[in-house]
Amino acid sequence: MPDIKVVDVYKRFGRIVALDGVNLHVRDGEYVCIIGPSGSGKSTLLKIIAGIIQPDRGDVFFDDVRVTDLPLEERGIGMVMQDILLFPHMNLWDNVTFSPLTRGYNREIIVNIGNEVMNLLKIRADKKAYPSELSRGEQQMIALARALASRPRVLLLDEPLASLDAHAARALRYELRRMVKELGLTAIHVTHNQEEALSIADRVVVMRKGKIEQVGTPLELYLMPKTPFVSRFIGGEANFLEGHVAQKYGNKAVIELRNGTRLCTYTHLPQGSHVLVAVRPEHIVLMKKTKEIHGENMLEGTIEDKNFLGACIRYVVKTKEGSLIVRMRRGVISFRIGEDVALRLDKVVIFEYPKEGLLKAIAYE
Amino acid sequence: MLRRSFLHNVLLALGAISLLTVLVFLPSFYLLTFIFTRWDEIYNEIFAHPLIGDTYWKEIGRYLSLSLRLALTTILIDLIIGVPLAYLLSRGSFPGKSLLEDLTMLPLVIPTSGFGFATMLAWTASYGLPAILGFDIKVDTLVPMVNVPLLMLIIHVALTFPYVVKTVCGALRDIGKSYEIIASSLGSKPITTFRKITMPLIVPSLLSGLVLAFARSLGETGATMIVAGVSTTAPIAVVKWEFENKLAPAAFLGALLVGISLAIIVPIEYLASSSRRARRLIPLGVEVLLVRWERKAPGRLRLFRDIISLLSIALLVLLPIAVLAYNAMIYWRQDPYTGRMEGGILYQLYGPARYIDVIAKSMMTSLIVSSLATLISTYVAMISIPVIARSGYGRLLRIMLKVPLVIPTSALGLAMILLWGPRGLGLVPPGLWLIVLTHVVFSVPVIVETGLASYFETNLPLYEDTARSLGATPYDVMETITIPMIRRGIIAGSLLAFTHSLGETGATFIVMGDHTTVSTLIVNLVESLAIPASIFASLVLILTSIVFIVIIRHLIE
Ligand SMILES: Nc1ncnc2c1ncn2[C@@H]1O[C@H](COP(=O)(O)OP(=O)(O)OP(=O)(O)O)[C@@H](O)[C@H]1O
Ligand SMILES: [Mg+2]
Repeated sequence: MPDIKVVDVYKRFGRIVALDGVNLHVRDGEYVCIIGPSGSGKSTLLKIIAGIIQPDRGDVFFDDVRVTDLPLEERGIGMVMQDILLFPHMNLWDNVTFSPLTRGYNREIIVNIGNEVMNLLKIRADKKAYPSELSRGEQQMIALARALASRPRVLLLDEPLASLDAHAARALRYELRRMVKELGLTAIHVTHNQEEALSIADRVVVMRKGKIEQVGTPLELYLMPKTPFVSRFIGGEANFLEGHVAQKYGNKAVIELRNGTRLCTYTHLPQGSHVLVAVRPEHIVLMKKTKEIHGENMLEGTIEDKNFLGACIRYVVKTKEGSLIVRMRRGVISFRIGEDVALRLDKVVIFEYPKEGLLKAIAYE
Repeated sequence: MLRRSFLHNVLLALGAISLLTVLVFLPSFYLLTFIFTRWDEIYNEIFAHPLIGDTYWKEIGRYLSLSLRLALTTILIDLIIGVPLAYLLSRGSFPGKSLLEDLTMLPLVIPTSGFGFATMLAWTASYGLPAILGFDIKVDTLVPMVNVPLLMLIIHVALTFPYVVKTVCGALRDIGKSYEIIASSLGSKPITTFRKITMPLIVPSLLSGLVLAFARSLGETGATMIVAGVSTTAPIAVVKWEFENKLAPAAFLGALLVGISLAIIVPIEYLASSSRRARRLIPLGVEVLLVRWERKAPGRLRLFRDIISLLSIALLVLLPIAVLAYNAMIYWRQDPYTGRMEGGILYQLYGPARYIDVIAKSMMTSLIVSSLATLISTYVAMISIPVIARSGYGRLLRIMLKVPLVIPTSALGLAMILLWGPRGLGLVPPGLWLIVLTHVVFSVPVIVETGLASYFETNLPLYEDTARSLGATPYDVMETITIPMIRRGIIAGSLLAFTHSLGETGATFIVMGDHTTVSTLIVNLVESLAIPASIFASLVLILTSIVFIVIIRHLIE
């Protein structure tokens, strides 16, 4: 329900800077996912929003009310932590009704809330069972039920699906989103899994080294990454090529790669700029090599390696600009290792060439 | 090859078990059987004496009643001050925390008679706190309701609350903060969280801590003797009767004490290790009211907790030592009240009484006893640890090794003299060697426990198996893998045992014959009212053990 603002938050642990000037605005009723490499400060940010730890500098606002000094129990949040943490000495029912009980509600209300969330989540396990007798997946659902029973306005989830097997995690993630939308909550969901984030979030926050690298809808992040890091992190793999802006006509430009290949595309960078070109593997089309290669954004190469990925096939193609990774749907056409092919780069993103060098700019840290 | 290794294994296990049995388990067992083997004698003396009838039985009842009331009141107060302190130590972060931790553990390792004397100085009118605050505590001041001597209660609390703090602190650290954080995120007030989440999770450890404290209080002899005045607790009665050569009642009471300790410890240890599930004790309706009351309760409980914690450390640990040091200063040249030189420490030490010689001699004895006992115990422990850790009956051995830690020390002394002394096997007369043997009984378990802790921490079984699969004999494994890897644990345990041995009073009193250790000397000095000399001896003894504690601390870190 509330709208959450994080303003200029800094947090350090000894010499480690966990958060380095973070600004974030999560709108009322929005489902936001935070992704980023390990140690990028995702959990720290979540804990600061929850009130588990205090920022060194900066503030948190719920509906424009400053809550930085408000204790945890008064923020109206529901949390599900990565390590589930059901109270081990209480049975399932006592776990779920813990919150209404400790808020001093009447008996009937406690029972009603308990039944309501159990129904909402379709929990069928024995109410008298203890956490140690439940599967991980069931425990995860109980933890969620317990959080929802506190009638939270904000739901904070720290890798809530990380301990489930891939299949259960996939089923549960859509369920999660549906529920949050149904109850009209504001949700912030931290995950390692970029696919999970892209598939359920209204907006995705990419964090790196204690900073927010980019915020946007899944489509924006996918099509218009702001940094080379984001273009590699979203989608998992990307090809990077070096070049410079050779010609410019308004926003249109011709990029010349290291070894002379010319690409027509768009950029705001001026003529002569040193640039980095990112191409997604699924944005390259492979074709049988005919005598002449002509047309825009074409290259030629040889298939070096081939991996089966289910619906797709991943090729490594050696070209004069270096080895490129290509992902193509299976079925239409297929190539052998060693075969000569033509490549067409359908969609490229142009970045100013990173001063710290390519490897540093895209490192997972 | 296989047969040789099997033989080695059996020999090692046999050696360890027989050493443990003879040196550690036998005495307490012997004391218990004493009741049956000498039942006629006991019956005729205690229940149907031709002259005094069942006077002894009535006395035993009185002494036991005092001891039990004392022990129960003690653990009640331990609970009240121990839990908040444990909470502060495990959850708080503030400068000086590790110092506070060390101070809390101090009463466990400093010599009890010296500490008892220091406490008496601190709390009786003429010397310490009451003189400043203007009220009066004497050795016979009773606590209302339970009728136990106040001074005795104070010293028992001081000597036992660290057990509660230690076990609860460990449990709190183990469960971590996460459950508490989750509970507050669900809207629970800190006090409700404590009652419904934290408390149930630490109950097993709390129980074992309380049981240890209870057993310790039930058997405490050294410090109690110093503050006893006219009251007699059961362990003191054992010592008294032994001195008067009334062996039947002494042995009977001793056996009763051992029996009571065991009867309480075994079921509670069992209970503590079994279930972590809390049944709903309070009906839901009442619970709702309770929660509402808790929501209105003032948020000042944290302050209350901190004040209780700091105050108890200050009063129970720091104050006695500070008062002792202060008294040593003002008594140095002369009696501060009369101004007479004869009442000063220097005069008592170097004057005609030459107490310095007595103190030096007993210090020598103490050091020899402690070194020998520690050496023997370390050796026994090193042989036993692999056997206990690796064999199926090891767990049983481990539980049995808890017994010497909780049996009343005077009962232990009695058992030793009955077993080894002239009336028993007649192998070891009272004196230096019997003291050493007695100290071995409680030193072995201390070293084994710390050794086992580091054994399991370092994941040793894995390395040992690897070595064995490479063809090493069990003895080779022990020498080249096991011992080197747990060396630090064993050294720390040995130092701990050394300080225990240095400070042991109750058992030593009974078995020492003509020899005197410093801790028993202090009791004698106090009883013969040589206060300045007692001050000096206590201070020396306490400072010596503090030095050892600092060394232990460095070794552990
Ligand atoms: N309590 C703490 N004390 C010291 N350092 C901490 C603490 N909590 C976090 N850090 C450090 O702060 C940095 C950010 O940690 P954080 O847990 O926020 O990362 P994360 O993005 O959640 O990583 P992961 O994906 O592995 O969970 C890390 O370098 C971590 O080591
Ligand atoms: Mg994390």
